[in-house]
Amino acid sequence: MNFTISEEQQSAQQLAQQILSDFTDVDKLKVIEQQQENFDTGLWQALAKAGLLGLDIAEDQGGIGLGFYSLTTLCEEVGRTVAPVPVVPVLVSAAGTLRRFASNTQQDQWLPGIASGTTLISAALEEYNNDDPTTPSCSAQKMEGGYSISGTKICVSQAPSAARILLSAQTDEGILVALVDPRAAGVTLNAQTVTTGETRHELVMAKVQVPAEDIVATGSEALAAMDWAHLATRTALAAMAVGLCDKMMRITGQYTSEREQFGRPIATFQAVSHRVADCYIDVECLRLVTQQAASLMNEGHPARDAVQIAKIWCGNVTHRVSQASQHCHGGTGVDRDYPLFRYCQWARQIELTSGSSAQLTGELGQTICAEYLSKAG
Amino acid sequence: MNIELTAQQKGLQQEVREYMKTVMTPELLEELKIPEFKEGGGPEFRKQYARMGADGWIGLSWSKELGGKELSHIEQYIFTDEVVRSGFAYPFLTTESTTPVIAANANAEVREEVVGGVKQGKVVIAIGYSEPNAGTDLASLTTKAVRDGDDWIINGQKMWTSLANYADYVWLAARTDPDATKKHKGLTMFLVPTNIEGFSLTPVHTLGVRTNATYYSDVRLPDKYRVGEVNAGWKLITGQLNIERLSLFTHGQVDSLYQGVCEWAAQTAAPKGGKLIEQPWVQHNLATVKSGLEVVKLICWKQVWAMDQGPLNMADASVAKVYSSEFFVELYRLLLEVMGQAGTIAADSPGAVLRGRIEFRWRVGAVLTFGGGANEVQRDIIAMAGLWMPRTR
Repeated sequence: MNFTISEEQQSAQQLAQQILSDFTDVDKLKVIEQQQENFDTGLWQALAKAGLLGLDIAEDQGGIGLGFYSLTTLCEEVGRTVAPVPVVPVLVSAAGTLRRFASNTQQDQWLPGIASGTTLISAALEEYNNDDPTTPSCSAQKMEGGYSISGTKICVSQAPSAARILLSAQTDEGILVALVDPRAAGVTLNAQTVTTGETRHELVMAKVQVPAEDIVATGSEALAAMDWAHLATRTALAAMAVGLCDKMMRITGQYTSEREQFGRPIATFQAVSHRVADCYIDVECLRLVTQQAASLMNEGHPARDAVQIAKIWCGNVTHRVSQASQHCHGGTGVDRDYPLFRYCQWARQIELTSGSSAQLTGELGQTICAEYLSKAG
Repeated sequence: MNIELTAQQKGLQQEVREYMKTVMTPELLEELKIPEFKEGGGPEFRKQYARMGADGWIGLSWSKELGGKELSHIEQYIFTDEVVRSGFAYPFLTTESTTPVIAANANAEVREEVVGGVKQGKVVIAIGYSEPNAGTDLASLTTKAVRDGDDWIINGQKMWTSLANYADYVWLAARTDPDATKKHKGLTMFLVPTNIEGFSLTPVHTLGVRTNATYYSDVRLPDKYRVGEVNAGWKLITGQLNIERLSLFTHGQVDSLYQGVCEWAAQTAAPKGGKLIEQPWVQHNLATVKSGLEVVKLICWKQVWAMDQGPLNMADASVAKVYSSEFFVELYRLLLEVMGQAGTIAADSPGAVLRGRIEFRWRVGAVLTFGGGANEVQRDIIAMAGLWMPRTR
């Protein structure tokens, strides 16, 4: 048992902290937010140059191979700074899945470009009312030289600029995982503005022809790939929430220590300080369940329950800390010239991505039921 | 980063779990139904406690000099967790909190008498801190000890002296300097044998267990029973409180209740067919419990891991106390809801579920949020030590 990360992983996290805070002062964020995609390509290049896009990409493919856990610490730092960079869809959902499930040729084709920041591969794991990529309603028909895919994915990050979008579809013989070119015939991208304020896309596919070389996996291998992507994405979102909530809570601790009413800092009212102390407890709980999930994923050990529990806490804690932070700030908290609103928007976005707390609590309950019914015989 | 027990640690966990099954004899399970003996003290409890001593299970964390095995905090936690899981009323405050302090600070003769006795499973020590007017503000206690030749004359009253009805000693905090500039600087620690003249007690029956008020009327105590320097008792008290919290909120004790209810709900028919555990609302409660329990486990692991690395962070210790105490209370309710009215049936009545353990734990659990340091005080500490917010008051 060990609750610390290696020195190498520590320096990577500190480097990320440095670069991300350099690029995320309020004026810079405002400029990026004026742009269509809300993506800071300069920051992305800086992260690439520092090797941080390749934390979970093997060394012979241009990465530094520190593993999945290290990647989750980058996600945590991105959350802490609400930096406009798509680390979860590109580095976790897409690159992480390719690294573990794609053919050597596909890995050689895409991973070096992702690590160097020259290529973006996004992922489209969610459909309407379905966050589970192992049970897609999109369908795929086998055809000469590949598959023809139809159906709709939602809230896809970086869809217009991505070279390919990793997604799953149902065939007559189980699911498949494919890399879809968003410029291919039959693809329509409809802009969707989401809570964070960024533009994402509804990806509508009508008989899109995907060549065999862009099929990542089929059958049980595809199922394993989407299962991993689902768990890894949830874990990474929880890690992002750790940084996000930790920072919101600290902003609130500082603000209430300085803001005076009735002749004293409002933090000296226990009704206020205890609410912030509750955020501290919540954040520590979220940190622990997230570290456990990320550590199990990193080791390749069974992690389903741990990840589910981490995402349940993630949804609850983002909601509670965000609400408490807004409340303790009064009007200042909602002012767009003050940094807090971005954190609250991201908190809600993460909470509702890849399964809500209510849904996952229901699913965990079904797992418990199945486990004890089978024990009871 | 690796948040799992090692193979060796899992081995220890299994070994203790198996051993404790032999300690929880049918006779002891019967004895535990008697209200007087629910928290230990009955003849069968005494017998099994002494057996644990004879089998070498007491004092594993102590130094080798004292006959211990110097287990790491992680291993010590695994032992504690499994013992509490078994339901045995092991006197942790005696073995883990007070005895190491006594071993380090008592005079040689008393050390031999007390530490040796604990090691053999023959000695139990009760804690005498709280008074009718000294609770959360413990340093304001007024029980007095006055030097008289080679002895001390002790007068006063203690409240909530749990286990005093069968304990061999009370670990007593008394005021020895009424004029100290700061009130916590005038306190000294003593061990008071419960068979000494001038000591008496009356039972206090609580919502949960029986505890006691203890009285000290011109108790003449030889100086050898003083522990540590005169007027230097506060440090011994606070050091002990931190360790006390670690044995209060272990994962195993509530995990076993959760598992028990899951098993029960999987065997129990629902009124409209199927098993109770197939009802969505039951699943919701069980999943909520499981998500919260996971954090109890991780908080305990992280605390003992941190203690093996160095001193415990103040804010983290308070997080553990507040989270666990409030979650335990919530857990009792969520599990009792699953059982419905059957959950209210007492251990010795027909139809009791899981020997009435959860209803009983709920009763005892009413003290958790204020005992061992009130949660309001813990939240003050978190705001100050964890977030650098200004002191309230």
